[in-house]
Amino acid sequence: MKKKVLSAILTFTMVVTALAGCGNTAANTAPAGDQAAPAADAPADTAADSAAPAAELTGIDAIIAEAETMTMEELAAKAIEESNGKTFYGVGNSSRGKSALPLFIEYLQSIDSSYSMEFEWQQPKNNKIFEQLTSDSLKSEGTFAMTLIQDGNQIQSKMVDTDILKTFIPKEWAEANNTSADSYEGFLPLQTLNKVFMYNSTGSATYNNCWDFVYDGAHPLFMGVDSEIVGKNFLMMLTEDKYATWLKEAYDKLDDTKKAYFEPTIKAMQADANDLGLGANGAYALAWIKLWVNSYNEQTDDGPICNTLVDASAKDQAGLLVYSKLRSVEESATVSVNNIKVAAYEDGYTGIGGYGYCHYLFLTKNSPLPWTSCAFIAFMTCTEQGFEAWGKDMGGYSSNPKVAEEIEATFHHSQGGGDEFPAKNDRGYDWWTTNGELILEDPVYCSEVSFSVGSWIDVLDHYTPGE
Amino acid sequence: MQAIAKPDKSAIFKNKVKTWFSQPQNIILLLFGIVLTFSTVAPIIAIVKDTFSIHPGTIDQHLTKKVSGYTIVNYIDLFTSRLARANLWTPLLNTVILSVLTCIISILFGGLFAFLVTRTDMKFKKYLSSIFIFPYIMPQWTLAVVWQHMFYSNKVTGTSDGLLAAIFHVYFPNWWCQGVFPSAMVLGLHYAPFAYILIGGIFKNMDANLEEAATILDTPKWKIMFKVTLPMIKPAILSTILLVFGSAMGSYPVPHYLNLTTLSTKYISMNSTYTGEASILAIIMMVFGVLILGMNQMSLKSRKNYTTVTGKSGQLTKLTIGKMGKYIVGIVFILITFFTSIWPIVLFALETFLPNPGDYSFLYTGNLAHLTTKWWVTNENVTENGMYGQSGILYNNTIWHAFFGTLFLAVVCALIAGTIGTLIGYAVAKKRRSKWANYVNNVAFLPYLMPSIAVGAAFFILFSNEHINLFNTYTLLIIAGVVKYIPFASRSSLNSMLQISNELEEAAVIMDTPWIKRMTRIIIPIQKSSIISGYLLPFMTCLRELSLFLLLCTQGFILSTTLDYFDEMGLYAFSSAINLILIVTILVFNTLVNKLTGASLDSGIGGK
Repeated sequence: MKKKVLSAILTFTMVVTALAGCGNTAANTAPAGDQAAPAADAPADTAADSAAPAAELTGIDAIIAEAETMTMEELAAKAIEESNGKTFYGVGNSSRGKSALPLFIEYLQSIDSSYSMEFEWQQPKNNKIFEQLTSDSLKSEGTFAMTLIQDGNQIQSKMVDTDILKTFIPKEWAEANNTSADSYEGFLPLQTLNKVFMYNSTGSATYNNCWDFVYDGAHPLFMGVDSEIVGKNFLMMLTEDKYATWLKEAYDKLDDTKKAYFEPTIKAMQADANDLGLGANGAYALAWIKLWVNSYNEQTDDGPICNTLVDASAKDQAGLLVYSKLRSVEESATVSVNNIKVAAYEDGYTGIGGYGYCHYLFLTKNSPLPWTSCAFIAFMTCTEQGFEAWGKDMGGYSSNPKVAEEIEATFHHSQGGGDEFPAKNDRGYDWWTTNGELILEDPVYCSEVSFSVGSWIDVLDHYTPGE
Repeated sequence: MQAIAKPDKSAIFKNKVKTWFSQPQNIILLLFGIVLTFSTVAPIIAIVKDTFSIHPGTIDQHLTKKVSGYTIVNYIDLFTSRLARANLWTPLLNTVILSVLTCIISILFGGLFAFLVTRTDMKFKKYLSSIFIFPYIMPQWTLAVVWQHMFYSNKVTGTSDGLLAAIFHVYFPNWWCQGVFPSAMVLGLHYAPFAYILIGGIFKNMDANLEEAATILDTPKWKIMFKVTLPMIKPAILSTILLVFGSAMGSYPVPHYLNLTTLSTKYISMNSTYTGEASILAIIMMVFGVLILGMNQMSLKSRKNYTTVTGKSGQLTKLTIGKMGKYIVGIVFILITFFTSIWPIVLFALETFLPNPGDYSFLYTGNLAHLTTKWWVTNENVTENGMYGQSGILYNNTIWHAFFGTLFLAVVCALIAGTIGTLIGYAVAKKRRSKWANYVNNVAFLPYLMPSIAVGAAFFILFSNEHINLFNTYTLLIIAGVVKYIPFASRSSLNSMLQISNELEEAAVIMDTPWIKRMTRIIIPIQKSSIISGYLLPFMTCLRELSLFLLLCTQGFILSTTLDYFDEMGLYAFSSAINLILIVTILVFNTLVNKLTGASLDSGIGGK
């Protein structure tokens, strides 16, 4: 009886509250009209907002519009005026924002020695950054001033379409990229990171073509599409015409035996490719994706994948992981960078070499320190010192060509491994995006196909070792 | 005729109210009944509401073509879409299998050990009793990581070779390395100390006369075991099931590391694109919690039948397992506990001296030069040589900041949860026949039976809104921790308070002794050991809790999230060092409390 009473109380309370919530819906969600517009309409609205003349803008938009016309020094002066003695809260997917902030403060102190600013940098896990920014956006003045964030797909659909994050294009960055804040479309990337195919070369297996990674018996190590969404973005990007064509071209160069192995799958995918509205080579992309999801061996992070691949015992094993992990391998009796090969660096390798994704920079719509955020963003994207926290390592490429040049001149990443460890000689962004056939994330495309191609990926069977 | 004066109803009412409020147990029950109803029900409501909300950029927006508002599409999609099997039914089945297997393993292992310690003349009891609880002290997934290091192989799991494959060329099958079996083994070992403490407590106190009577009647030993002994420990077994089932169900890290898809792991993986549907998974886990509470009610009723049978005879006879047997069994358990309790610690310590994570090349080559102290003493931000930009453990601000944050959190949670739990236990014991007391008791216990990941998710949703955003604050962690851990103290306190006869306190009442004095001079000193356990258990659990706090703060905020971060990154030297720090901290506190008060986790069974 007692438990019945308790259960009844709990159930009643839950139902009443849930229904009460439903009842409030119409009244609480009025501002955006009926808000029934499809997601695809939202970017257009946002674009329209940002295209409005500066004079009509208010609040954060007006500040951004003004900041986009200012030099680094002018922004620094504004930041000093705004944040002296205050605390700056940032949130990001990269822990190195924490390393960049003290350098930024030092820079401001070089202009005004009396300047001081406390800071806190948070790095949430498990996709919580989006929920954290969403809940912070509900306040009239937010806690977080800016963010450094990855996963273009979710940024587009959860942050930009909803107007939670604001893009600021620094003047010097635009000039370095031969564009202007008004004409530039898209988010502001701090850097591009690459995840590349590698394989353990202590055995006899060879990977001469990107289709070899999905060939019979291959089970490359990968973080998994659910644990890191940029991995799923990579798979969705493969269906874009340009990259599907790359896969088709790589397929054409396979020998007859391998072609015969893949052909039934490609044919079987044709109907799905048509249903999903993909281009002429869409079936090749879907076939590769299906075989990849059916075969990759899921790991918790790129760190353990790297630890595994560089071990001599991981004979013939392959993986798709962040290139920069190689920098942290210490040579020992059984572990060596020379136990692996970067597939795209090998002579005769054909096809995609990996994928690239960006760390983007945004102001929050209710940023408590907008000028300081603009100055910090400009500092990271327009100065070598600002990018140094990331630039000192291989595999991260500044979106500012001038900064990228300065970083290379300082750290010589292209010769980072020398003759001893050729796999660590980073060939740079230009090489990777041309010869290296790096698949680049396009936030708009990803968000468009997120529930078509994305849902198609979701229903694919995953590999379990031992099966 | 003498006129009968009419009673003044308002005076009677006032008097009743005054009398009611003069009893502290009434105030305690009223106050905590209201507070706990809110703290337990509000998160549930928040998460139920979330299942109906439309989340921008997720499946519900795609299906409804709306960016806000409410819908039932999440329920429809979760239960009926093509993904229903992958997103719901398979994880649900795996979760139930995992929870059941974990219960079986923990009860068999912990129960057998409890029997040997309390009812036989096995040797080395004191050492074994202390060492047996180590797996509960360690964060559960660290045993999973040790499992990986021991049994993985390139041949079977497609990774680098673990220790056994590398040294002895022994290759374990995949079902042993990944999936439900290793997950259940790891969780079973982790929760076996629960079974040991609960079952051991009954073995220790049970009336041996019953078994002796059966022996005199020439009853076969197996029959005594199944007809006399086991029925008497049945309530303890049920209690273990109740406690372990919900905990295993809500475990995120162990199945995550050992590659098993459960509701918890699915909750995390679905949260980005299927946010509302993930909340339904949390609700399903909570429903299991409510069901377990119902089972608990039934077990409480049945428990009464057994407790009336017992009466302390003071003649606990111990089974003789032979002159050699008592040594052999002891040594066997020393070996077993070596691998479950000592070996992980040895591996943790070793890991902090390896050149690369999991790189045991010094063992294969016999060359100690392959060991390094860089993980401890590096005093600069370097990315080369495996440091990934981290300073060495001794200089790592992230680790030490998280350590002191965790200590603060654990102490505050233990103090608040321990005090509230003790008061609730006291008040419920005083008003044991009151329906309200029973309600308060149940509502206080309910959060424990709800899977941690679901409770964490509920608190995250509740405290992340336009009015209040407590993410990544100690306030939020303390609220969640207190609500989750009150049951440790309330149960411990209730059980001990029920043993105290009312006459003791009534005598003090007659002497007009104030309530505070009655508590501090009579009640608490009598049941000191149980009450301290009510503080120790939340403290210890809080120190290495991950599933509950995973969604509530960033990595680096507390030790468990920092440890998990390093484990996921493959930086095992740092995670191992954190493990060592945790184990040492808990042992130091346990020893301190033991020395100061005489209470310890395994006290009363074999520890003392």
